[in-house]
Amino acid sequence: MTAAAQQAVEQQAVELSIGGMTCASCAARIEKKLNKLDGVTATVNFATEKAAVSFPGTVTSDDLIAVVERTGYTAALPAESEAGTEAAGASGPPEDSDGETAALRKRLLISLLLAVPVVVLAMVSALQFRNWQWLSLALAAPVAVWGAWPFHRAALVNARHGAATMDTLISVGVTASFAWSLYALCFGTAGETGMRMPFTLLAGHAGASAIYLDAAAGVTVLILLGRYFEARAKRRSGAALRALAALGAKDAAVLRDGREVRVPVCRLVAGDLFVVRPGEKIAVDGVVESGASAVDASMLTGEPVPIEVTAGDAVTGGCVNASGRLVVRAVRVGADTELARITRLVEDAQHGKAPVQRLADRVSAVFVPVVIVIASATLTAWLASGRGPAAAFTAAVAVLIIACPCAMGLATPTAILVGTGRGAQLGILIKGPEVLESTRAVDTIVLDKTGTITTGTMALAGAAAAPGEEDRELLRLAGAAEDGSAHPIGAAIAAGARQRLAAEPPGGGLPLAGNFASYHGRGVTAVVDGHAVAVGRAGWLADQWAQPVPRPLADRAARAETAGQTAVFAAWDGAVRGVLIVADTVKPTSAEAVAALRGMGLRPVLLTGDSERAARAVAAEVGIEEVMASVLPEGKAAAVRELQAAGRVVAMAGDGVNDAVALAQADLGLAMGTGTDAAIEASDLTLVHGDLRAVADAISLSRRTLATIKGNLFWAFAYNAAAIPLAAHGFLSPLLAGAAMAFSSVFVVTNSLRLRRFKPAR
Amino acid sequence: MTTATYQVTGMTCEHCVRAVAGELKTLDGVSDVRVDLNPGGESAVTVSSAAPLTAGAVAAALDEAGDYRLVG
Repeated sequence: MTAAAQQAVEQQAVELSIGGMTCASCAARIEKKLNKLDGVTATVNFATEKAAVSFPGTVTSDDLIAVVERTGYTAALPAESEAGTEAAGASGPPEDSDGETAALRKRLLISLLLAVPVVVLAMVSALQFRNWQWLSLALAAPVAVWGAWPFHRAALVNARHGAATMDTLISVGVTASFAWSLYALCFGTAGETGMRMPFTLLAGHAGASAIYLDAAAGVTVLILLGRYFEARAKRRSGAALRALAALGAKDAAVLRDGREVRVPVCRLVAGDLFVVRPGEKIAVDGVVESGASAVDASMLTGEPVPIEVTAGDAVTGGCVNASGRLVVRAVRVGADTELARITRLVEDAQHGKAPVQRLADRVSAVFVPVVIVIASATLTAWLASGRGPAAAFTAAVAVLIIACPCAMGLATPTAILVGTGRGAQLGILIKGPEVLESTRAVDTIVLDKTGTITTGTMALAGAAAAPGEEDRELLRLAGAAEDGSAHPIGAAIAAGARQRLAAEPPGGGLPLAGNFASYHGRGVTAVVDGHAVAVGRAGWLADQWAQPVPRPLADRAARAETAGQTAVFAAWDGAVRGVLIVADTVKPTSAEAVAALRGMGLRPVLLTGDSERAARAVAAEVGIEEVMASVLPEGKAAAVRELQAAGRVVAMAGDGVNDAVALAQADLGLAMGTGTDAAIEASDLTLVHGDLRAVADAISLSRRTLATIKGNLFWAFAYNAAAIPLAAHGFLSPLLAGAAMAFSSVFVVTNSLRLRRFKPAR
Repeated sequence: MTTATYQVTGMTCEHCVRAVAGELKTLDGVSDVRVDLNPGGESAVTVSSAAPLTAGAVAAALDEAGDYRLVG
């Protein structure tokens, strides 16, 4: 093997941290540029801000970083300690956001300690001892340079793109105040021993005697504080994917030569036979080879009625086997399973969402160029008026100093912080606070049926005995017979019967049943109080027991089934004597909640995987007209997209894994706290109590928060913008700059605190 | 001098606009590129050039810029 060939074969792997990506397209762009290099294979993950790169010996990691930086982003090698394990591939979820927050906190605390004496010295002239200004300089220098470094860096990157953001404004403001003060101290009169800051609001012509170190330090600290709040509240990306991954079974009992061997799920291959016992999760997608059982697919489909399966039926990985032992032949494993597919869809939906540009950045994009134009105009006008370059320069710099609104950095984070806190008190957990900043107002609310409008569990909804029979006797016998059943419908009958018997006089519980036998998914038989009791489907009772269903009971059952409910018959002493109706019941608060949502001007839409009939029944009960039924999990996201394409801004409330994709797709995703982790992680808001009324509260809270952010930004900019004409005319004094800073900050914080008084509608 | 408008998918933000415009401007004879951004949908990209461009060249430039597709 030649040296060159050997070099080419020796592939190295590295994981770079990428900074500056704003959307999924950025990731694609970096990926493309990296892959252009000879022998380099790269994948860039936007969510984790990492690039996994494998490269040959002809390329160095510095080359890779240079390519990324040329594309307009930043790249860094991982810290030494994790270099080995991370690059090895099987890296866990990134935890670097914690590290970032910690670094930000350190920067904030150190800057704060240094800035406080600077501000105090500047404001209280009694404390201004001899040469105080030099101490101020020593304290403020690290704040203005190191403390504000993230802003300087971001401003430079933006400048390369020709863009101006909030960072640009901060960087320019801090640099102008600090550089000016430095100049005034070294070349002006401010450095003279015994200098005192004039305590006047409008300094006639301050010239090179005023210093703005307090402004430089104060702005930096306030903005860092805002950033810190933001970082702490920031969504941890990738959590939805981890929650989905956790849903799958960890291992499976594979049949090898007739013996069961437990292997991790990742080692299963298509064609393997594996055993699923009652209560266990089905490992991968497959086909039942032998056995019969009820499979609880509610976490996947959202539907509470378990699916009866026997040999030849398809089952989905992640579903729970509710009653019998099954032998399943694996058909799709690994990335091909339904669960893996949903995971990918959620990932795509989350990545496809263009992040909302920060409001503060949008304002800055206009504000910065205007300020720079005003500063230049000021310089030109003063020079033209012939009052010398020193005065002209002073006025121009003053414009730059006063233009940087320090309260701007607090405007968004404080409102989000208070809004999030108030939400938590009301049982609304805001996971992606950035959604509160989204500017468009939600006009449509899509509601999942099962688990969102309804309780999502089967419950006894009614019991009717045949003419001449007692309802109480029906409940006693059928309840006792089903008491041993592991089937969710049977369990619902037993629990419902026990509850109803205890609630009605003379009270009492269920008698004991003997000789219990269960006939997979069709019914049960038992001996109760000396009666032979059979409870099950009509067809089964007719076939096995030759017991036809009396007309009134059949009518009652037909009515129930039209409404999407399930009817089960009970027979004893040789005849069918009662019908039990089992259904997923509507939450008592749902109708009220739908009315409240309508009152807020939202259009409610019911979206369900269930049949049209069942969906219509529930929709009518809670007062929804628009129904989209029989929708598959991926169809739910498509339905949301369709609404969005029609120009509607969609909020979606759901609870199941099948809702996760749609929740991620929606403009505002609301998950029921009683739902699956996958849905909770894919959503923006979680309603802890699973009460639909909280949806209305959540939406009005987010509306109020957004209004507060907008108000804050207005006032943050207004105070400073109002001072710009003064600065341009040479009337800026350090006191005026400090006052604008203090007033706007106090105003913004107080305005945000008003969100604490947010009251839910109910 | 000719002007042509293309429909491009995959653009979501100003970064994309800059990348696409930057890449198209490197094509021979292109003097101006205007993008009407429609995040997540089809954005209209108007290119002014000395001579008409081939669809292939435009598609190649879009591909070069990132994950963008020419749809019309």
